[in-house]
Amino acid sequence: MFQIIKNEWRFLVRSRLLIAISIAFVSILLLSIFLGNYQTQKQEQTYQKATEHLRQQWVSIDAMNPHSAAHYGTYVFKPANLLSNLDEGVNSVTGNVLRLEGHVQNEIVHSEASQMQAVSRFGKLKSALLLQYIVPLLLIFLAFNTISSEKQSGRLKLLVLQGAKPLEIILSKTLSVWLYGVLLLIFVVVVYGILNFQNLTAEILTRTGLFFLSYALYYFIISGLTVFLSARWQNATLALTSMLGIWILWTIFLPNILMSSAEKWYPLPSRNEFQSAMTEDRSKGMDGHNPSDERGIALEEKVLKEYGVDSLSQLPINFDGMRMQADEEYGNSVWDKHYGSNRNILHQQKKSFQLGGIINPFIALQNTSMGFMASDNLHHQEFLLQVENYRRVFIKMLNDKQTFGGAKTGNWGWKEDNAFFKSVPDFEHRPTQISVVLSNYIMDVSLLILWSIVVIALIFFGTKKIKIV
Amino acid sequence: MRSLSIFVNEWKHFTRSPFKIIALFLFTVASIYGLHNGADLFEKQKNEIERLNQETEAEIKNTLSYYDTGKKGPDEKPWVDNNEPFWAIYNAPTYQFKTPSPTIVYAIGQTEQYGFYKRINTWSNPYDADMTQEISNPERIQSGNLDFSFAVLFLLPLLLLVLLYNIKGLEAERGFLPLVIVQAGSKNWWILSRTAFYAILLLLVLFGLMLYGATLTDVFETKNNFWKIFLWVTISLLFWLVIYFLILYYGNNTVSNTLQMIGVWLLLALIIPATIQQWIAIEKPTNLMVDLIDVKREKTSEIYEQSKELIDAQLFKLYPDLKETKTFRDTTIVKNDRGYSTDALVNIEMKNATKGIEADNYAKNKLVETTYWFNPLTYFQNKLNKLTSTHYEDYESYRNEIQKSVDNRLETMVFDIWNNVEVDKLRYLEYNAIFSNDK
Repeated sequence: MFQIIKNEWRFLVRSRLLIAISIAFVSILLLSIFLGNYQTQKQEQTYQKATEHLRQQWVSIDAMNPHSAAHYGTYVFKPANLLSNLDEGVNSVTGNVLRLEGHVQNEIVHSEASQMQAVSRFGKLKSALLLQYIVPLLLIFLAFNTISSEKQSGRLKLLVLQGAKPLEIILSKTLSVWLYGVLLLIFVVVVYGILNFQNLTAEILTRTGLFFLSYALYYFIISGLTVFLSARWQNATLALTSMLGIWILWTIFLPNILMSSAEKWYPLPSRNEFQSAMTEDRSKGMDGHNPSDERGIALEEKVLKEYGVDSLSQLPINFDGMRMQADEEYGNSVWDKHYGSNRNILHQQKKSFQLGGIINPFIALQNTSMGFMASDNLHHQEFLLQVENYRRVFIKMLNDKQTFGGAKTGNWGWKEDNAFFKSVPDFEHRPTQISVVLSNYIMDVSLLILWSIVVIALIFFGTKKIKIV
Repeated sequence: MRSLSIFVNEWKHFTRSPFKIIALFLFTVASIYGLHNGADLFEKQKNEIERLNQETEAEIKNTLSYYDTGKKGPDEKPWVDNNEPFWAIYNAPTYQFKTPSPTIVYAIGQTEQYGFYKRINTWSNPYDADMTQEISNPERIQSGNLDFSFAVLFLLPLLLLVLLYNIKGLEAERGFLPLVIVQAGSKNWWILSRTAFYAILLLLVLFGLMLYGATLTDVFETKNNFWKIFLWVTISLLFWLVIYFLILYYGNNTVSNTLQMIGVWLLLALIIPATIQQWIAIEKPTNLMVDLIDVKREKTSEIYEQSKELIDAQLFKLYPDLKETKTFRDTTIVKNDRGYSTDALVNIEMKNATKGIEADNYAKNKLVETTYWFNPLTYFQNKLNKLTSTHYEDYESYRNEIQKSVDNRLETMVFDIWNNVEVDKLRYLEYNAIFSNDK
C-alpha cells in the first residue's frame, strides 16, 4: 500500500500542471494568512486606541454623582481575535460597539457589513474560505480519474496481476489524494503558527489542532468519495460531474437553504416584539426614578423598618441608590428571561442546522471551523454575556456608592470624587475556553467521523465487484 | 432551419439527461425558495410597520384624552405637562420608516444589516443603538440570504456549467465531431445554436420565476423596476454565456472545459470579491464610532456647561428668527427655554460627527466601485440591490430622512418654546401632522 502511495506521489510530482496549480494556490493561501494577520493587527490597534480613549474619559471624571455616572455609562468594543485570522465566522456581521449604562441593556451595534455596500457573499479572503471551498475542488480534480484512467490504460489489471488487491489500490489512491489536502492544511497551520509564534498558547494550539482535525476528516470524505465514484463509474467525466454536483449541493446550495429553514422553524421575535415584552415585564417591577412608584414605596417601608427609623431623612444611607439598585436587579431578571429565551431559540436553530450534517458533512465542517476558531454565534453570545455581567457589576458599584457613599436621600447634587471613578475596573474580555464549549461541537465532529466511516464502508463494500478493465 | 434542427436535437438531449434536468429543477426550487424568502421579509416588515402605526395611533389617542379631560399628563408622572411644547412634542410619537419595496422579493440585499423603523425624538440620531438590525441569527446572515439574486448571480452560472459542460467535448471525445460539423454546416454556428438553446431555455425559466415573484408582492406597482431587474438578470446570464461559450469554443475536452468553467466561477464569485473585501477591511478598518461617542458624552456636557450668552449666540446663529420671538424680549423666562433648546446645539454636533462617519463609508464604497471592472459579480449584486431599494445608498437616504425629521422636530419645538406657545388639542394634532412621515 505504501508503495502505491509513493508511486502515486511520484506521478503527481511529475505533473507540471499540478505543480503550477499548487504553487498558485499556495501563494493565495500565503496571501490570505498574511492579509488576515495584518487585518487583525490593524483592527487590534483601532480597538486599543478606542478602548484607551474611552477609559481615559472615565478616569478623568473629576466629580460626578454616581447615578449620573451610570447614565454617562461606558462603551465596550468587540476585541479582535487572533484565531479569526483563519476563520472570521460571524464577526463581520455582528456589531462592534456596545454602550453600557444604567436601567437598560443596549444592543451591540455598528457592524462592519453595515458600513459599506455589499462586496462578497462568502466573506473575506480568509484561509477558511480557501480550505472550505477550493481545496475540496482541488481534491476532486486530483481524484476523479485516478481509478478510471488506470482502468483505461490497463494499469489496474497489471497492478492486480502483480498482487495488489483492488481495495488496497483504491484505499492507497484515496490516501495519496487526501495527503495532498492534509499537506496544504499543515502549510496553513504552520505559517499561521510562525506568524503568531509569540502569542501561541495551549488554548490556541488546542483549537488549531481541532480545526486541523475537522478539515482533515472532511478532506478524507471528499477524497474517498471521489475515488469511489471514479472506481464505480466507467467514465471519468461522469465521476467528475457527479462530484461537482455533490460539491455544489453541499457547499453552495444546502447550507443556505438549511440555515434559512432553521430560522423559519424556530422564529426569533421581532425587535419591537422583544422590546415591548421587556417593557411590559419591566413595568411590573419598580421605576427607579419615580419615588411615588408603589413597589418603590413598599421597598421604602421595608428599609425604614430594617433601620428602625420613621422617615427617609433619618436613614444613615441614601435610599435613592437602593431603589435604583432594586430597579436594576428587577430589570436584570427581566432581561435574563427574554434574552435567555432568544438564546434558547438560537440554540435550537443551531441544533437543527447541525443535524443537517447528516446529509451534508460540509455543514459540520463549517460549524467546527467557526466554532474552533472562536468566531461563531456561540462565542459571540458568550462575549455579550460577559459584557452584561460586567455591566451589572459596574452599575452596582455606582448604585452602592450612591447608597452607602455618605449622601442623604434626595441629595442628587452629591458628587463622588475622581479616586472612586478610577477605582471602577474596566471591562476585561476573557476569551471563552474551548473546554467550556467543546460539547457544542461533539455532534459536528461525530458526524464528520461518521461520514468518514461511511466512505470507508463504501470503498470496502462498494468496490468489491468493480471491473478492473 | 438548421438552427431549428439543432434546437430540436438539443431539446432531446436535454430531456434525456437526468443530471441536467435535476440541476434545472434544483435551481428552480432554490429560486422559488429565494423569492418566498424575499416575500416573507416584505410581509414581515410591512406588518411590523402596520403594528407600529397602530401603536402610534393608540398613543396619540391617549395623549388627546388628557386634553379632553383637562389633565396635564398621567397622574403617576406629575412632571409631565402636555401644555408645554417640550412635553407635547415628546408625546407626539413619530416613526420614520424604511418602507420595503415590493421588488425586495428579488433581492434582499443589505436589508438585514439595518433597522427599518426609528422612533424620532429631539435627541435622536441616525446612528443610535435602536438603528440596529432586526434580531436574527448572525450565522444565517453571515452565510448570506438565499434570495432570488443569490440564485441568479451564484447558482445560475453553476447551472449553466452543468447544462453546457459537455458541448463539443463529448462529440470530440467520441470521435463524431467532424460528422456533426458536416451535418450542421459550421462548427461555430453549431456551438452557438446549442448555447443559444440553453440561453433561451434559461431566459424563459427566469422570466417565469420573476413573474411568479411578482405575484407574491405588488412588483408591478413600482416604476418599470420589474423590467429593469429582468434586463440585469438577462445581462448577467449573457455575461456567463459569453465566458462559457469562449471556453467551449477554444476547448476540445470535456474535463478541461469543466475545470476552466468552475475555475472562472471560483475566481469571479469567490476569490476576487473576498480579496477586495479583505483589502478594504485593511485599508479602512471598521469605524468604532468614537467621534460620535465623544459628542454624546464630552461635547454634550460642554454645551450644557457653556455660558448663557454663548448658548444664545449659537442658538441665534442656528435660528436667526428666534430674535423675533416673545421669549427673546422677555428675559425672565429665557433661562428655562434656553435649557430645552440646547438639544438643537447638541444635534448640530451630532450631525458633524455623523458627517465624518458617512464620509468614511463613502470612501469605502468608492474603493469598492473602483474594482467593479474586474469584479463583475459585486457590480451585478449592487445593481440589483439598488433596483430593489436594498442597497447601502437606500439606507443612507433613510438615515438622511431621519436626520431631517429630527431637525424639523427640534426647530418646531424651539420656536414654540420661544414663542411661549401653550399647546392645546389642536396644536398637538398639528404636531402629529407636521412630524408624520406620511406627508
